Amino acid sequence: MMEETGFVDVEIGPAYDTFGQARGEDKARRFDVYGYSFLARKPS
Amino acid sequence: MNDGLPVDPVSLREEVKSKYREVASEPDGEYHFHTGRPLARRLGYDPAVVHALPDAAVESFAGVANPFSLRALEKGEKVVDAGSGAGFDCFVAAEQVGPRGRIVGVDMLEEMLEKSRRTAAAMGLENVEFREGLLEDLPIADAWADVVISNGVINLCADKARVFAEIWRVLRPGGRLQFGDIANGKPVPESAVHDIDLWTA
Repeated sequence: MMEETGFVDVEIGPAYDTFGQARGEDKARRFDVYGYSFLARKPS
Repeated sequence: MNDGLPVDPVSLREEVKSKYREVASEPDGEYHFHTGRPLARRLGYDPAVVHALPDAAVESFAGVANPFSLRALEKGEKVVDAGSGAGFDCFVAAEQVGPRGRIVGVDMLEEMLEKSRRTAAAMGLENVEFREGLLEDLPIADAWADVVISNGVINLCADKARVFAEIWRVLRPGGRLQFGDIANGKPVPESAVHDIDLWTA
């Protein structure tokens, strides 16, 4: 979707176990949910 | 109707407000996600920067990743935080851009705005301000921002295409989008996609 908007040079960082040991961990594991950092640039 | 969106945006907003109003007023409450300093440690924020912040700046933090992990901000940059909550990422950003930079946090929740404004005033940060608004309609001029950051909020918006278009509008040419968000590796059943209660669960 970012590229559809026009962003370029899209980078995605490694996964964070955002919900590990939290109350929502079971639900997160069921759908393989992790946090990610994203970086993208609007062309000059 | 929802205009082709998976859920009604207004209903989803009300659900999100209800959940995060609690996080603002009861940061030590029981939630399905981590909050505060333990979460900042988990997400790899600079411990020295987090340690230097007052409790009010950190305790209601409920992000899902680290918008600064792939690239730090530069001195003097103008930054918009889309969905700034109680301001934690804005305060981290303020440390990175320095006194010549400017930070505008945008949030729809009055309780979060009040808390973040109080904290910024207590910290003496004159280059950080907080505005009421939606990610789908950011109260920011065209091409004002060098960088837009966000953390765990875009996934809570029903119309993501509109959010990205709005971020595009406020970024200057050559500007950057740095955000944290969640993604699922396994498909979510269609019934769950349309169940508004599950969006914030």
